[in-house]
Amino acid sequence: MAKILEGPAMKLFNKWGIPVPNYVVIMDPDRLAQLGEANKWLRESKLVVKAHEAIGGRYKLGLVKLGLNLEGAVDAAKEMIGREIGTSVVHQVIVAEMLDHDEEYYLSIAGNRDGCELLFSNKGGVDIEDNWDTVKRIFIPLDETPSIEQITEAALEAGFIGEVAERVAKIASRLILCFDNEDAQSIEINPLVIRKSDMRFAALDAVMNVDWDARFRHPDWDFKPVSEIGRSYTEAEQQIMDIDARIKGSVKLVEVPGGNIALLTAGGGASVFYSDAVVARGGSIANYAEYSGDPPDWAVEALTETICRLPNIKHIIVGGAIANFTDVKATFSGIINGFRESKSKGYLENVKIWVRRGGPNENQGLAAMKLLQEEGFDIHVYDRSMPMTDIVDLALNA
Amino acid sequence: MSILANRDTRAVIIGGVAGVNAARRMAQFDFLVNRPLTVRAFVYPPEEGQQKEIYRGGELNNVTVYSSLGKVLEENPEINTVLIYIGASRAYQSAKEALDAKGIKLVTMITEGVPEKDAKRLRKHALETGKIFNGPSSIGIMSAGECRLGVIGGEYKNLKLCNLYRPGSFGVITKSGGLSNEAMWLCAQNGDGITSAVAIGGDAYPGTDFVTYLNMFENDPDTKAVVIVGEVGGTLEEEAAEWLSKEIRRIRVIASIGGTCQDVLPQGMKFGHAGAKEGKKGLGSARSKINALRAAGAVVPDTFGGLSKAIKQVYQELLKSGAIKPEAELDEKLLPALPPSVQEVMKQGDVIVEPLIRTTISDDRGEEPRYVGYSASELCEKGYGIEDVIGLLWNKKLPSKEESEIIKRIIMISADHGPAVSGAFGAIIAACAGIDLPQAVSAGMTMIGPRFGGAVTNAGKYFKYGVKEYPNDIPGFLNWMKQNVGPVPGIGHRVKSLKNPDKRVKYLVEYVKGQTTLHTPCLDYALEVEKITTSKKDNLILNVDGTIGCILVDLDFPEYSLNGFFVLARTIGMIGHWIDQNNQNSRLIRLYDYLINYAVKEERTVPDKR
Repeated sequence: MAKILEGPAMKLFNKWGIPVPNYVVIMDPDRLAQLGEANKWLRESKLVVKAHEAIGGRYKLGLVKLGLNLEGAVDAAKEMIGREIGTSVVHQVIVAEMLDHDEEYYLSIAGNRDGCELLFSNKGGVDIEDNWDTVKRIFIPLDETPSIEQITEAALEAGFIGEVAERVAKIASRLILCFDNEDAQSIEINPLVIRKSDMRFAALDAVMNVDWDARFRHPDWDFKPVSEIGRSYTEAEQQIMDIDARIKGSVKLVEVPGGNIALLTAGGGASVFYSDAVVARGGSIANYAEYSGDPPDWAVEALTETICRLPNIKHIIVGGAIANFTDVKATFSGIINGFRESKSKGYLENVKIWVRRGGPNENQGLAAMKLLQEEGFDIHVYDRSMPMTDIVDLALNA
Repeated sequence: MSILANRDTRAVIIGGVAGVNAARRMAQFDFLVNRPLTVRAFVYPPEEGQQKEIYRGGELNNVTVYSSLGKVLEENPEINTVLIYIGASRAYQSAKEALDAKGIKLVTMITEGVPEKDAKRLRKHALETGKIFNGPSSIGIMSAGECRLGVIGGEYKNLKLCNLYRPGSFGVITKSGGLSNEAMWLCAQNGDGITSAVAIGGDAYPGTDFVTYLNMFENDPDTKAVVIVGEVGGTLEEEAAEWLSKEIRRIRVIASIGGTCQDVLPQGMKFGHAGAKEGKKGLGSARSKINALRAAGAVVPDTFGGLSKAIKQVYQELLKSGAIKPEAELDEKLLPALPPSVQEVMKQGDVIVEPLIRTTISDDRGEEPRYVGYSASELCEKGYGIEDVIGLLWNKKLPSKEESEIIKRIIMISADHGPAVSGAFGAIIAACAGIDLPQAVSAGMTMIGPRFGGAVTNAGKYFKYGVKEYPNDIPGFLNWMKQNVGPVPGIGHRVKSLKNPDKRVKYLVEYVKGQTTLHTPCLDYALEVEKITTSKKDNLILNVDGTIGCILVDLDFPEYSLNGFFVLARTIGMIGHWIDQNNQNSRLIRLYDYLINYAVKEERTVPDKR
């Protein structure tokens, strides 16, 4: 799942003939003034300025400003760019034409196992959740394309009338093309607006997810997906992602502020179960972490050091299932080095470490980990005979 | 009994290096359960025609790489299963071909990162063709005692620990590959082991689902209970619950579902497998899956750790009801041990191997190279130089300060002698012909021999002989040389003479005699010889080769090593010439006609061939 920002989504809409308002994405407010000299619509339309970042609740944060003229837009851009919201910084704003319109519609498409589902409603806009029962759905089987007549019929059933129904159906058919050809996972246009005087339509706001695994067949994807965790990444997360991109296997990290149980867990399946066990036993996690696919020891070492630096942690859970081919001795040597390095820098004070693991070279790996006791670590080491997540129970009862 | 993979499974692996590694893992299992090799062929066009070495225990098998599945099946009609381990961008095409191939019943895909649309299409295609498409991102399928497909099960030791050499009574279906291994272990630890285990993969749209395999397990009389490991996202677990509650099932179901933590995490914060994403309004949440499965009668502990107890409990109940009849455990000692590699056996001291070569000077087995025992970095730190390394590697002795200074000076004064001499000229010609550095320098190096630079060794050798055999009899020595060798190597110079001495010789001799305390019998002897020879002819002086040869013999270098000093020193010069020519972008050299005397026959007609 890879969410993309409005700018790149608009670009893809343009490519597939889905009407969008005029827009520009800028990093420098002065550039906007210059663009105004070149583009009539910037001078003559009412404008909307939005922070072009993965930040939730932008409206409430004052990161969406409506009904501006060019000067007002430049001011708004100046005000927004550089603002820090939590761990994120606003680097870009998108400035778009605010189309005077008569009605707001809702149009979306989302994939499922057997194909996808097209949804539309003639009661779009901010209240769509309240009008959810007006949403009309069409199931589209995999690799099939509904005819324009079929979509029009559904649009009529959804309450669209006459030419509007036909035009909405046409936009919907292009949305299906865009969805299919761009390996999208979901696209939501809300609102799709209409100005009836000239029957002009435009997708004023859009949320689009594309399948990042399909990027090999999309040479024109010049964007990066935005954070998948509902906020922008922290510096530590970004560092681990950079390592992840360079290595065989993978290392992952998500920080969860406020928790006191750190996870240094292996495998995509097991790591989630460790988080679950902490929550189930009333604890709070300080992070989610995962290393898998036999990553190099230095990458695991870097992940370990990052985790040791998490604030206020009381326990570190070094957990994992019985690995298929991740070398326990090698990955543990990375963890051991990370622990030593962190301790020498003053971290891990009063932190208890709990270890459970199996897999290739498990005996050597666990024995090496156990030797850390002699170096003054408060470390408890268990082998495969300990049920996987029971070290979490031990930690929380300690 | 088992599902999906059994003793009749014969597989082809589509993929390169990773595929070969998987085949090796599979062959370990073949050896454990004493079955024929499962993998019969590879498809990997870049390596078409190659043979891959696959060991089944100690038995070496060569498995052929083909360029297409069609060719594989033509020659190996017994193959009924395809394992795909090729890059994500080619995985769809490979799997589709496999599903279309006659005789293929099962396609399982280890490849990760396959686009969702491709996976959806493959699932649909499998349903249409009535075949099983397992994966993507599946670590494989294991049937205890029968067949291993993929790398599921981990290392050899683990196969034994999980009792995978003989069937048990539990089926396993997991999304996660890592947890398939864990679940098999739990079934062995707390029950009697597994019949089959399937990893369906953690992607959003796997080709198969829990229900597909629950049905198969329900129809496999040896399977009495099934362990499911699911996770948040999608509806496969809910479908499994529905299957379980729909009618009375023979098999018991035990489950653990990952992702309950997401209820309490900040909104939008999701992690885990690609498929582990909750839909709108809590659809596919771990909690709803757990509730559905519990309502349907499955045993679902509240943490993964609780699975141990749950499996044990179900196992005890099944024993009690007589559904499972306990069998005597096999003595693990009867199981074959994987033949170790030569390295492993040697480590344990159980075998003697005669070494192929012997070294007495250098060892790179530690963290850094050691020269005759001394680590390189320590030598650097303590102020030793390259001349000391030469002493160590050529003569196994750390030279004294005075000795190493002499070695250094010998190399310095011999490093180059201008572009005209054979060695440098050879290197320059090669450089001008665009030849790379190592080859160009070698071209210069090939010039070193009896006429160019070779005199050092012979000078050292014969003066040493003189010191030993004719210590106080220089005329006797010269006479012996005349009769047995000819001109004395190291004596004589084309240009230099007594009146016009060679500065380098003068310098070296003065340094060694005047500024060091070294005992130099060979050099002294050569200087005595020079006195006699120059009295006969003015230019029969001790030349630079002779001087160096004698000094090095006096430094105790073996005489056959002496040429090395010339080779080493001139290499510095020849590399310099090569770099110089390249810097100038020099052009190809051709001799001018006027530098050649064409002492040839006049032009004439070729006679007819007889």
